[in-house]
Amino acid sequence: MRIVYLLFLGAGFSLLTANAFFGREFFGQRRRADLPPSVRQTPGAYRTFLHNNGFHGGK
Amino acid sequence: MSILASCPSCGAALSFRPGTMVAVCSYCKALAARRDRDPELIGKVADLVDTGSPLGLGASGTYAGRAFTLAGRVQLKHPLGGTWDEWYLALDDGRWGWLAEAQGRFYLTFTQAPHGTLPPAEALHAGGLADLGPDGQWTVGEISDATFHSAEGEIPWAVEPGATYRFADLSGKNGAFATLDYSETPPLFFLGREIPLTDLHIQGGVRKPTRLGTQGLNCPKCGGALALHAPDQTLRVGCPNCGSLLSAEGGKLAFLKSLQQPHQAVVIALGAEGTLNGEKITCIGQLRRTCTLEGLPYPWTEYLLLDSQHGFKWLVEGDGHWSLAVAVPPGEVPQVDESQRNLWMHGHNWRRFQDVQATVEGVWGEFYWAVEQGERVLVSEFVAPPKSLTRERQAHRGGGEEVNWSLSTYLEPAEVWAAFQLPGTPPTPEGIGSFQPNPHKTALAKSALWIVGALGLLLILVMAESVTHKNVELFSKRLDLIELTPGLRKSPVDAGSKAIPARRPTAAAPDAPPPEPQEPVFFSGPIEIKDGHQNLAVTLSAPVDNNWVELEGALVSETSGVAELFLLESSYYSGVDGGEAWTEGGKTETVFLSAVPPGTYVLRLAPSWNGKFPPVDFIDVELRQGVMRWLYPGLALLAILLVPFIMIFPMAAFEGRRWQESMYAPKSSGGGD
Repeated sequence: MRIVYLLFLGAGFSLLTANAFFGREFFGQRRRADLPPSVRQTPGAYRTFLHNNGFHGGK
Repeated sequence: MSILASCPSCGAALSFRPGTMVAVCSYCKALAARRDRDPELIGKVADLVDTGSPLGLGASGTYAGRAFTLAGRVQLKHPLGGTWDEWYLALDDGRWGWLAEAQGRFYLTFTQAPHGTLPPAEALHAGGLADLGPDGQWTVGEISDATFHSAEGEIPWAVEPGATYRFADLSGKNGAFATLDYSETPPLFFLGREIPLTDLHIQGGVRKPTRLGTQGLNCPKCGGALALHAPDQTLRVGCPNCGSLLSAEGGKLAFLKSLQQPHQAVVIALGAEGTLNGEKITCIGQLRRTCTLEGLPYPWTEYLLLDSQHGFKWLVEGDGHWSLAVAVPPGEVPQVDESQRNLWMHGHNWRRFQDVQATVEGVWGEFYWAVEQGERVLVSEFVAPPKSLTRERQAHRGGGEEVNWSLSTYLEPAEVWAAFQLPGTPPTPEGIGSFQPNPHKTALAKSALWIVGALGLLLILVMAESVTHKNVELFSKRLDLIELTPGLRKSPVDAGSKAIPARRPTAAAPDAPPPEPQEPVFFSGPIEIKDGHQNLAVTLSAPVDNNWVELEGALVSETSGVAELFLLESSYYSGVDGGEAWTEGGKTETVFLSAVPPGTYVLRLAPSWNGKFPPVDFIDVELRQGVMRWLYPGLALLAILLVPFIMIFPMAAFEGRRWQESMYAPKSSGGGD
C-alpha cells in the first residue's frame, strides 16, 4: 500500500511541479505542430494543413 | 520518653511510649492495655502469621526528614482469607504513622481530623464516590471488615482480641490513599499515600529472612511436588496433579477440598519463565474463567505472572487473543456509573464494551488471594484499542465488597510465543478481540506523517506558484465577425447610412447573385513572449444564445514555425422543458497551452459557426501568460488523500465487526474508535 501511495504522490506532485514551474499543460484540445514555411506564407493554407493533420473543429 | 512497666501476666518488662494504648509482651504474648496505674491484661495474642514481610520490629528509618522506629504491628484477617500487616511508626516528633502492607505494596497514613462530616459506612459502596467535603472526593476501593488476629510491640490504638473492625479504603489520584475506620464513632480518618519502601530508608529490626526463590513442597493430598515461587504471598494453591485446592497461609500447605477441574487447556506451563517487554516473568498460576452470554459460555484463560520485583501481572488469553493486564488504583480511574457508556482517561475515550459475570472454573498453581472455584465477579470492560480498562467488582462474605481496576494491553500472539519461547506457531486468533488494534487504523496512522508532509509541501508549492504567476495579458481583441467575413463586409454606402442597421447584410439585388462568404480568419500583430516557463491561456467569450461559435486558433512562432494549435467554443443553449428551465454549455471557454520558448509569435484565429451568418456580431479573445491553475494542486491533493480515503473503508468494516460482539454495539455498524 505504501508503494501505491508513493506512486500516487509522485504522480500528483510531478503534474503540479511541471505546470507550476515549467508551464506544462496536460489537458485540453490543443496540439503542437511544425508549420512549413509554405503554409505560414500562405494564410489560406493553414486550414487545409490543419485539417489534413487531423486538427479541425466544427459541430 | 517511654514508660517502663511490668507485664501483668509474666512480669517481663513492657514499654509504653507516648500514644501507646496496648503493648504485647514478647515473652508470654500477653496483651496489656495502658491504664493510669499498672497495665491491664486484656488477653493473649495468637502466633503471628508469617506474611513474608520485609519489615521487622525495632527497625528505624526516616520519613519527611523525621526519624521513626517501627514500634508495633497488628495482623488483621480479611473476610476473603489472607492476613495483612499494619505496622506502627513512632516518629521522633511524637506522631504515629500507620504503614499498611498488602501484596507487596505499602500505604503510609496518619490520623487526620476531618474538615467535614465523614459519610457513614452504609452510604459507601465499592467503586463509588466518597465525598469527604473539604478533604476531597475519593473512590471507594473496598469496604469490608478486618478481624484482629495477632500483634507485637506497641500499638497506638485499643485493639481487642478477636474484634472485627469495619473499614473503607479510599483511593485518590497520584497514589493518594485514605482509610475510614468505623471502629469508633465518629469514624477515624487516616490520610496518606502509597509509598515505595525505599522512601522510608528502613534499617535494622528483627525480622525473618525473606524467602526468595522457589520453595519446594508436596501436596498434602497426593504428595505431588509443588513449587511455590512466591511463598510469602501465596494464599491458595491449586494442585495441578490431583486438582486439590490447598491453603498456603503461614508457609504451610493444608488441604481444603478437591475440585472438579475442567480440561487444563493451557499453553504456558506453571513455572515457565520468560521475558516480556524486557522484564523477566514467571508463570505461577493458571485460572480458567468463563462468562455466559445468551446461553453460550465464553471461556478464557488467565496466567498469573510474577515479575522480578515480586509484583503480579496477568496474561489473558481468549480465542487466541492475548493481553497483558496490570492493576490500576481505583482512584486513578474516573467515576463510572452503570449507565455510562464512555469514560475519559489518559487522553483517550474508553467505550464500554460489555458487562458480564465472570466465574472461576479452574484453578492451577499459586495465587495471592483466597481463590475459590465458582468465585464470581462482575466485570465491566471499557476499550480504547489497543488497551482496555476492566473493573471487577466482588462481594465479600459479611456484606463488604471491593472493586479492582486493571489496565490491559493487547499483545500479538507471536509476542507471547517469543516471550516464553513456546514451540511452533501460535494459533490464529478467532474473530476480532474487544481491544485488538485496528490494523487499518495503524496503517493510516503510520501514513499520517506522509500525509502531513505532503500537505505541507503542497501548500508551499501553491504559495510559490501564486507569487510567480502574474496572469499577464499578452493579447486582447474584440473581433467583429461581420467585418472579418469577406462576403459579409459592409459596403461604404451601408457604412455611411444611418437609416439601415449596419450590422446585418442587406438583401441582394434580384439580378445579381450574392457573393459566397469566404472563411473568416484573423492574424494578430507580433506578440512578444519573454518567459518560457509559464503557461498560456486563450479565452473565447461570445454573447451566444441558443447558438454556438467555434474558434480554431494557432499561436505560431515567427522564428521556428512551431505552432500551438487549439480549439475553443462558445456554446450556450437554454429553454424550458416540462416547466423546468434548463441551460447547457457556456458563453466563455479557456484553453491552456504549455509554455513556449521566448520569442515573437502571431496569433491566427479562425472563427466558425453554423450557417451563413454569424450568430453574434463579435467575439472577444484574450491571450494571457502565467495563469494559476487549481487543477494541478487539486490533483496533487487528491493523490495525497485518495489512499487514506480508501483505507477508511476497511478500517470502518473492522470496527463494525468488533462492535458486533459488544453488548453496547452502535445501532449502525461501522463505528470508529
